Amino acid sequence: MTLNAWIPVFALMTSLIASLVIFALPEKGYRLRTWVNLGAALVKLSLVVVMVWGVFQGVEYGLSFTMVPGVTFVLKADALSMMFAGLSAVLWLLTTIYAVGYLEDSPNRSRFFGFFSLCVASTMGIALAGNLFTFFLFYEMLTLSTYPLVVHRGTEKALRAGRTYVIYTLTGGAVLLLAIAWLHGVAGDLPFREGGHFMDADPDIHRSLILIFILLVAGLGVKAAIFPLHGWLPQAMVAPAPVSALLHAVAVVKAGAFGIVRVVYDIYGVEASSALGVLEPLAWLAAFTILYGSFRALSQTDLKRRLAFSTVSQVSYIILGISLFGPVAAAGGLVHLLHQGIMKITLFFCAGNYAETLGIHRIDEMDGAGRRMPGTSVAFTIGAFGMIGAPPLAGFITKWTMGSGALAANMDWVIVVLLSSSLLNAAYFLPVMHRLWFREPAGSWPEERHWGRLETSAWLFWPPLLTAVMTVMVGVLASLPFSPLSWAELIALREYSP
Amino acid sequence: MMSPASVLALLAVALPLLYPAMALNAGWVRAMRFALPLLPLPALVLAVGADPGWQLELPWLLNGGLWAMDELRRLFLLLTAVLWTVAGIYAAGYLKAHHLRRFCVFWGLTLAGNLGLTVAVDIGSFYSLFALMTFAGYGLVVHEGTDEATHAGRVYLIMAVLGEMAILAGLLLASVAADSQMLADLPRAIAGSPRRDLIIALLIAGFGVKAGLPLLHFWLPLAHPVAPTPASAVLSGAMIKAGLLGWLVTLPFGEAALPGWGALMIVAGAVGAIGAAVLGVRQQQPKTVLAYSSISQMGLIVLMVGAAMADSERAPVLFSIIALYALHHGLAKGSLFLSAGITLPSGAMRRAAVWLLIALPGLSLAGLPFTSGALAKLAMKESLLEERLEFAVAGYLSPLMVAGAVATLLLVLRYLWTLNGKIETGRNPPMLVTGWLASVGVSLVAFWWMPWEVEGLVKSPEWLPAGYQLWALAWPMLIAVALAAVALLASRLVRQRSLQ
Repeated sequence: MTLNAWIPVFALMTSLIASLVIFALPEKGYRLRTWVNLGAALVKLSLVVVMVWGVFQGVEYGLSFTMVPGVTFVLKADALSMMFAGLSAVLWLLTTIYAVGYLEDSPNRSRFFGFFSLCVASTMGIALAGNLFTFFLFYEMLTLSTYPLVVHRGTEKALRAGRTYVIYTLTGGAVLLLAIAWLHGVAGDLPFREGGHFMDADPDIHRSLILIFILLVAGLGVKAAIFPLHGWLPQAMVAPAPVSALLHAVAVVKAGAFGIVRVVYDIYGVEASSALGVLEPLAWLAAFTILYGSFRALSQTDLKRRLAFSTVSQVSYIILGISLFGPVAAAGGLVHLLHQGIMKITLFFCAGNYAETLGIHRIDEMDGAGRRMPGTSVAFTIGAFGMIGAPPLAGFITKWTMGSGALAANMDWVIVVLLSSSLLNAAYFLPVMHRLWFREPAGSWPEERHWGRLETSAWLFWPPLLTAVMTVMVGVLASLPFSPLSWAELIALREYSP
Repeated sequence: MMSPASVLALLAVALPLLYPAMALNAGWVRAMRFALPLLPLPALVLAVGADPGWQLELPWLLNGGLWAMDELRRLFLLLTAVLWTVAGIYAAGYLKAHHLRRFCVFWGLTLAGNLGLTVAVDIGSFYSLFALMTFAGYGLVVHEGTDEATHAGRVYLIMAVLGEMAILAGLLLASVAADSQMLADLPRAIAGSPRRDLIIALLIAGFGVKAGLPLLHFWLPLAHPVAPTPASAVLSGAMIKAGLLGWLVTLPFGEAALPGWGALMIVAGAVGAIGAAVLGVRQQQPKTVLAYSSISQMGLIVLMVGAAMADSERAPVLFSIIALYALHHGLAKGSLFLSAGITLPSGAMRRAAVWLLIALPGLSLAGLPFTSGALAKLAMKESLLEERLEFAVAGYLSPLMVAGAVATLLLVLRYLWTLNGKIETGRNPPMLVTGWLASVGVSLVAFWWMPWEVEGLVKSPEWLPAGYQLWALAWPMLIAVALAAVALLASRLVRQRSLQ
């Protein structure tokens, strides 16, 4: 085998090996653990950069071998995998830095970082999986590796949230497995392929295909937090901030959304899906989830819970984008895979900073925090405006692209959904920003800590600022090659003219 | 190689954007305060020194950026830069220590948006800069932190967000219809689109929030007066014009005659011009009276916008007059707002001189001969003459303009009256006086050297009206003075009776 076959494996192994090394390290090996973490994250990022360049040039990366006859294990790097892998690699690095600062002096760090790396290895596997079976393997590995992170604090509340999480995701996994097995029975082992497999499917299997599609979406929809399968997500926000950041921006919800993209584009094929009539109901469901999540977010008083419902809403943009028939809308949905990740991780980092530095958890405690923590609050403001869809930030590029695509596809109602969602986002983010910048602080913070020159620990200070800068940059520089938008357009182009 | 104009354009937007970064260092707050007047300098040089026609391509920006300046945009850029400069000088003297850094940051952000949108010709950067101005403007409105300011800010923000949504929907529909990301392609596409009326409605309403169109205006008399005085000046002088510019660069002028929309705008303009005066003369706060005066003046401009929509042939000429009127009003209104924050010197002669300088820009609004207002009013009158226009309601325009002129002077008199009740005697910070005097200077003097165009509607020398024109200017003013005198007399009588 050539080197190109092994690069995806290396990318996968870096996190996996890091995970094993960290489990083996003693709890007190703080320095070494940090270096292993950061080193692995950097190596992985470099490998992903190499693959992104290669995929752009048309190089094929990947390998496959047969597990049992009829079931193959396939790793493959295509444009879509690179989008998810790139997101995972970049944000893993930043989240690692953040987590090191966040968990300073707390117990069980070895366990935490071990599962943390395992979780990232799973997302890498999900990104690089070349068929549904491989995808499923890593998808379940993700469930198992995130559970210890959700319950990390070990409190009653955390354990309860963890239980809910596992019940939801394992049930979703079972449904997904059922669907995959059924599909295997109907059509055999299908590799992910641009344009899909069912363009000229036998009309006899149409009914089965529709049912399987529903099951697949139901199984994947749990992680993607599509209504009414989103119940676990707001509860899971009891997890430590870096875990929430990872769950909401990179790993779990994205894995679900990414899986749906794979099913629609690379198993069924967008034209076949459209012909089967499954896209339009999916679009309506996504649209409903967008509005539902935003409505629920309005009434939350806890900052992280408000952000959690916002995630429910925002992830469905991705689903909506791909279920509108047309390359422009598709690019709008795909680009949100990255945009939502960058913006939401910023907001969760900031929420963590407020909690760790000032003891702020509720929105009504945030009065005047902008003056005490200007860097964090600037980052929060940028992230929130991005979510609202204010130009020239990431969220605006998503909305503009998706809106143009929807109009081109003659689905004007989508504009109403996009605008209503923007309005609702404004309604629940603008008051928070008003509190940050224009209210006078109450006098003393719930639980203030000091770190010297910076407003908070440097490990916590820089990651949200960097992701905030990225939120601005991916919007302002949307037309550069290799910008998320350009990459999403590349994927959409390859999908619509395979 | 970039042309000097391109560099200036980039600098004009980038320079004020440095303020948030400077704010990270608490020690720089003094520098930020005194650098306020310097921020619009690149834009000022660009507007005065560069010939229209330059282009700056920014292919990496958003969906492909393009900045450029034509004659119309040049006047808007000039107005914006001049007004922010004089208001900046004024602000350097006016501001107190209360959240000074925060104020400077929002000032810089609002300024960057307001300047940039006048030269942005691609949809993405125009809308981005417009939104930046809108959202950062909130920081100026609520700055004082009073309950009044917070309430005004909330209304401002709700209306602003609704406006932004309408603009976004309108631009999105138009952009898809045009299959283009450039503003210049929108008017034709809108005119030919099956969704024409929807797009027009969205854009009129969206930009109308900013421009103070009746029914969308009610945030304006709340928000403009509660802001710190220099911010009121730029809100009412420059930012209100951004809504107007939004209409001019997107709506299908000259592409199709739209008598229905034109008539609707003319009605809206008439309601604004006269209705705002009716409400405005009853206000007690000088700055609130001025805010109503802005709505009233924008109403007069909307008459011309409506005429340009209804009669596509006349649109180019009307555009020049609209720009001229906007420039005149912006400079005069900016000066009036700045005068609301000064104190009187002691000594009768000096007091009289200050009152004269306060009043002159106001009388200019009313069309006093030898002022920019006389020129703007005459040009507007000529441009809206019935025989020049071809649509049904054109006949109403002349009487409406007369009514508008009466309304204008009534509001100015009301402003002077309420100001007289509030103004104090004392010393002013030197920067504050300098800023105000500069604003009076640009409104009354420098205006005549600015690159406006009257399209031959007013015979030169433009500053010297002919005899019949003097009469045309004077008689609405005489009516207003008579009305004010009657009102004064009536109020005296009522007071006497209630005392007995």
